[in-house]
Amino acid sequence: MKINLIHTILCTAVLMAIVLASICLAEIVPDAAGMPHPSYDGLQIGGDGAARLQHVGILGFAFQCLLLIQIILLCILGVPDRNRTYELAAYMGASLAFMLFVAWKMYFGHQSFLATHETDYFWGFPVATAWQTYGTWLSAIPLVLIYSIGFTKFIYSEKDEETFDALLAERIENNG
Amino acid sequence: MEAFRQEIIISAVIIYMIFCVMTGLWAMRRTHDTSDFFIASRGLGPIVVSLALFSSTLSGFGFVGGPGLVYSIGVSSFWMVIISSTGYAVCFFLVSKRIRMIAELRNCISLPDIVAARYGSEAVRFMLAITIVLGVMGYLATQILAMAVVMQAILSGTEIFANIGLVACVTISSAVLIFYCVTGGIIASVYTDVVQGAIMIVAGALILIAATSVFDGGMQEATSIILRDDPETVMPYGAAGIMASLGWFFVFGLGLAGQPHIITKMMMNKNIKDNRSMLPLSLFGYAMAALLWVSIGIVMRAAVLDGRVEPLALPDDAASVFLSMFTNPLLAGIVFAGLFAAIMSTSDAFLNIGTAAIIHDIPKAIQGKSIDNDLFWARIVTVILACVAAGFALYSHFQDATLVALLGAFGWGTFAASIFPVVAIGLNWKGATVWGAVTAITFALIINFVSQLAGYTFPYGVSGQLVAFVCSMVLFIGVSLVSPKPSIDSDIDRVLDI
Repeated sequence: MKINLIHTILCTAVLMAIVLASICLAEIVPDAAGMPHPSYDGLQIGGDGAARLQHVGILGFAFQCLLLIQIILLCILGVPDRNRTYELAAYMGASLAFMLFVAWKMYFGHQSFLATHETDYFWGFPVATAWQTYGTWLSAIPLVLIYSIGFTKFIYSEKDEETFDALLAERIENNG
Repeated sequence: MEAFRQEIIISAVIIYMIFCVMTGLWAMRRTHDTSDFFIASRGLGPIVVSLALFSSTLSGFGFVGGPGLVYSIGVSSFWMVIISSTGYAVCFFLVSKRIRMIAELRNCISLPDIVAARYGSEAVRFMLAITIVLGVMGYLATQILAMAVVMQAILSGTEIFANIGLVACVTISSAVLIFYCVTGGIIASVYTDVVQGAIMIVAGALILIAATSVFDGGMQEATSIILRDDPETVMPYGAAGIMASLGWFFVFGLGLAGQPHIITKMMMNKNIKDNRSMLPLSLFGYAMAALLWVSIGIVMRAAVLDGRVEPLALPDDAASVFLSMFTNPLLAGIVFAGLFAAIMSTSDAFLNIGTAAIIHDIPKAIQGKSIDNDLFWARIVTVILACVAAGFALYSHFQDATLVALLGAFGWGTFAASIFPVVAIGLNWKGATVWGAVTAITFALIINFVSQLAGYTFPYGVSGQLVAFVCSMVLFIGVSLVSPKPSIDSDIDRVLDI
């Protein structure tokens, strides 16, 4: 993989900062971050979902997509340079695609609810929330599998272990 | 059994505390030097480290504040939990292998030790140690106060202790914590974490079963009730909105790899290859325990809206009211023991890293060596640190909450913003420089501290912690790229290649 990873991570972080600034400078909707429940102390409500997403909804979604891309880039950064193979790129690309798919189903599922005020349920939650709750958690499981199953291939091989043991031995010898 | 509810709960908590004391005595015989005291001489197995990792992650906040947040703002708070799979994955990819290798290569006993070895800089060690001490004071004070408040609530339900005061509860709970931390150091801490983690897993699973049986239609009926009242509360971004939710996704997800009390535990495993099983084990434990966080909050909100339960005086009462109304006394006893376990497992981790910063890292950064007779002083400083934190907690409760609130600002978000770039990126990129590290830590502290002091709120629920984190990442990489190429010690350079 020939791309300069750290520059890509920096670019992604800068883009996130720009999106964040755009959100902060967008037209303000009152109570966009919630308001007290009219009848119960201690409870907050969200109110008009469409209104509070009107100016920043798509920017928020863009921020989430950039965050997911950043997560994948950082995971790749944690793999030694020589192990950043096309096979790893394929696994990481598939993981990212899965994460973006879940985010897309969640965001546009919510948009669909805001338009129709109707929803089905899946395992106790409205569908969009089920994508958020189960989907977001499950969408990072491929990363866990890449790490655990691919540990000796991508993270710490037998050769790495030998190299490290040699380094330790050298250090002990030098320290007397 | 219902007639003895309070007695059963108190018995469960007492049994748990006796176990902690016994573990401290057992571990004392295995603690011979500071390497034993702070990192268990890197001799722990994968199951022990995994349980210690996740139980340190889930503090008392997860058992009290978490359900309270779901009760108050709905699904927004879920984001702090559902990022656990992402957070643990990023943490293991970026930190676990290299921190363990450098710890063994350089005989490091603390996170600032690792950072000093990586950057060859005592300035970075000093800044990190100061950040840790400030954060530890805030975290510890809030944990000790939470422990005392829960203990007072339990004991005041009995005839004998009906009028027990908060000072007495702070004294009792701190005494148990101090005893096992002082006698057994990190060895006692991690072995109590194992039992604490197991209790939390069992409590989480049983609470989910209890919660789904409150309404005939299970969780779907509960969410339908909330949806009818205010749809947004039970939609993906909850009452707090899209940017508050995504801010938590960012700060709790990536930020896990910047929590010193968690990543320090990654220096303690016996074998580097254990990491491959530690990741799924930790994640499984956290996910099980966090079921309590999610399920209690949703059910309690629905129960209040449905008129089954009177509105709560405080959102943080959600867990205790749920336990008293919807669970049998045995389960309540297990969960209350689990609550103490959650608080203590985080507190002991903070006591450990705070003590290391004071007796080892700050002296080493200033005078080039840690203090003499360090095991003795480690025990003394552990006592002092816990007593000062308990004092802060009481002062905060009775006089003025500002000080602890300010120190509390040095919590998760500040650790995430200041430590993540320096450690997680710095251990994987040879181009990271001292200037980049110092700039990132400084700006993270300033942005967090100023936004907290000024009480400034960004539009749309964007948090100061999120702004600080994004800025520190940009500054860390940007400043490193434009500052002179760093010279790295040859052994560390070779570790960064592995």
